Amino acid sequence: MNDRILELTDKDIRNRLLMSKGTQRHRRLGALAGNAVLITIASSSLVALLFIFYFIIRDAIPFFQLEGIGEFLTSSRWYPSREEAEFGALAIFVGSALVTVGAVIVAVPMGVLAALCLSDILPFSMRQVVKPVIEMLAAVPSVVYGFFALVVFAPLLQEKGGGLLSVGALIVLVPISIVGIGVASDLIGARFRGGARGIVRVTSAVIMTVIVAIALFLLNRFLGDLKIVSGTNALNASIILGIMALPTVVSVSEDAINAVGRELREGSYALGATRAETLLRVIIPAAKSGIIAAVILGVMRAIGETMVVWMASGNAARIPQPIFNYLEPIRTLTATIAGDMGEADHVTGSGRYHVLFAMAFCLLVIAFVSNLISEMILRRSKRKLGG
Amino acid sequence: MELKTRKMLDRSFTTIGIFAILLMAVSLVILLQPIIWRGAGAFIFRETIENRKLNLEIFGRGNRANVEVQVTEAEAARKPVYDMMAEFEREMEEGGPSFRRQYRSEYSELRDMISELLGPFPGEGDPVLIRDRYGHTRWDRANVKLHRILFVEEYDYSDPNRMGVKVEKPRADLFESTSIEPLFGYLEENLERMMLPSVTFYWRFLFDRSYDAHFFGGIWPEMLGTFYLALGAMLFAVPLGIVTAMYLAEYAGEGRFVSLLRTCISSLAGVPSIVFGLFGLAFFINTMKIANGKSVLAGSLTLAFLVLPTVIRASEEAILAVPRTYKEASMSLGAGKWHTIISVILPAALPGILTSIIISLGRAAGETAPIIFTAAVSVGRPLAIWQTLSQPSPALSWNIYNLATEHEAVDEIRHVQYGMVLTLVAMVLLLNLAAIIIRARISRKLRG
Repeated sequence: MNDRILELTDKDIRNRLLMSKGTQRHRRLGALAGNAVLITIASSSLVALLFIFYFIIRDAIPFFQLEGIGEFLTSSRWYPSREEAEFGALAIFVGSALVTVGAVIVAVPMGVLAALCLSDILPFSMRQVVKPVIEMLAAVPSVVYGFFALVVFAPLLQEKGGGLLSVGALIVLVPISIVGIGVASDLIGARFRGGARGIVRVTSAVIMTVIVAIALFLLNRFLGDLKIVSGTNALNASIILGIMALPTVVSVSEDAINAVGRELREGSYALGATRAETLLRVIIPAAKSGIIAAVILGVMRAIGETMVVWMASGNAARIPQPIFNYLEPIRTLTATIAGDMGEADHVTGSGRYHVLFAMAFCLLVIAFVSNLISEMILRRSKRKLGG
Repeated sequence: MELKTRKMLDRSFTTIGIFAILLMAVSLVILLQPIIWRGAGAFIFRETIENRKLNLEIFGRGNRANVEVQVTEAEAARKPVYDMMAEFEREMEEGGPSFRRQYRSEYSELRDMISELLGPFPGEGDPVLIRDRYGHTRWDRANVKLHRILFVEEYDYSDPNRMGVKVEKPRADLFESTSIEPLFGYLEENLERMMLPSVTFYWRFLFDRSYDAHFFGGIWPEMLGTFYLALGAMLFAVPLGIVTAMYLAEYAGEGRFVSLLRTCISSLAGVPSIVFGLFGLAFFINTMKIANGKSVLAGSLTLAFLVLPTVIRASEEAILAVPRTYKEASMSLGAGKWHTIISVILPAALPGILTSIIISLGRAAGETAPIIFTAAVSVGRPLAIWQTLSQPSPALSWNIYNLATEHEAVDEIRHVQYGMVLTLVAMVLLLNLAAIIIRARISRKLRG
């Protein structure tokens, strides 16, 4: 080996180790071309997004030209197939909003609690068990959730109706009210000194327990007497959508909670705070923006979901009376697009075809804007926590 | 607050948190339990003699001699039923117009139901539809039918303040003291002898095509359609996704263009799936006209757009997870950037990229909304691979929706619906399980 290196001449060195000018130029050009190709391919998602916007807007514009935007957003008379078609989509927008709010009520408290539990409370071995559960919930296709909602949950709601609701309400409300009474009686007791404190605490706890028990009993009676006419309604869709949105909420807010540094936790514990106090007073405020981003992403999941609402919401284009009546069937934007396009696509060019694109455009804008907001929040929080 | 209360609060907070996680696990169990239990019913069930007859005549399966012996046996058991009905028909003939008027509609309803339960009456020709040529092929459905024959459902509206209450009245009461009354008792006691149920394992459910709008047969065309759609989507999305991920992870800095790209990727991930469907309709079908109407190709392309962000993100994560030392070692040996990526980084990131591909595959297989307008039809034959360029196909996800909501006899074919749901869920969850296992291996390897 050594001998051969010694035999190298200057020319050899230039040829083999240093590149000639020509080779260098070649290489540089090659790298430039490679980079150009790479950038072109990497921009595919940019191009895809532009294409989506272009083609949705292209077919949505004729609707706004033909019908105007006023009726679309303010009237709730939805008769697209009549001779004199009416395209009032207000009830449909309200329907989308209703199920989304319902899904958020189901998913957010549960999701954030579960995320706190995963990151700070459960031991590592338990986390390894819970993670796959969340992944499975996320992996189940939406049509399967829809099938469950339609075939299993809807008949159950219709038959058991109020009974099911009151059991569900008890499961959720009893633990919460026990904790609530504990906190409230303690806070009231803390205003007194000495022997009075204990007495005040006990009596206030007893009084509140009685009041809450009566309230729960009345609520239970009220729910138990409810008759659910149709199992496919806003409540059904909201609950199932909430469960579908759970994995998103859990994983994004868990990331946010994990990003809060050890120092904050250790500082809080060193000051004598319990774990619950650390989580509620230190971790959640620090991870606030990440949790908000998680909520936004969950909302997006719920607004954009098609199959579950199509199968489980009843598809009636009416505003429920009163508006928070979750037991009435409703109709959402996504379900309208999915359901009406089948009848509209052979008459391409009709108002009925273009109104669905107008709805898709609204969905697209909502999704795009909320995504931008959530990304902005996440980026800002990362910068704050990082520096 | 007192220390005692604070501790109690701490404990109750922990309990509520664990309760939330339990609730999540329980909802997964509640979701999967009926799907697994009733989905298994599509594969393992008690078949009646009618099913064996159908298998022999339509698919050519089973032992002809055995089936014929059983058919004669069952016919012997059914003979009294037909005799009683013939007897009653004679009684109606002789009974005069008022008697006839009283029983005509009830009797024709009963006759129809019995023919649905046991198949066409002896001596009648073969009906056109396969479903009319045989009685109930499943013992559980036969029992449901028997119950409908034995009892009439009526609604009791006597209390004006409440909704009608369902009441069941024995049908035998309608035919009191006629010659057909004993028929009901006979049916109830001898149904087993007339149908000869036995347990069967119908594994061919996965590989048979469906007959007579999913009344009989299996789900092969749907499975094949799902395979084509999902694999086709990966064919387009994976190369694009990996190259993009490579660019983002290895080449791009923190410039404005890159941050624009990242925003686009996350926005693309947030676009509702139904909007992808409309886009596919407007672009691939109405503008590009890549086929005459819907086609598997159009559906695959639409799905490719949908899974692209997932592939990019997961692949980028996999590439970033490769330790920097690998790259530095390769560079210090004199390899160029390109060479390093191809021969060092990509092989090391391959298991992670594979995980991302598997997960996206599951996502593409389960999506419904993007294929409604671009690729899916309700009924179709299994396609050969070149037909996917121009023809639409049924797919599991779409057909679950379609059979559960738009089929003419939704209740009759529940087992097919559950079978499809189970197949789809099993496919997706197995893919995810594979991904989880691969990921666990990688993390073990990277750790030491």
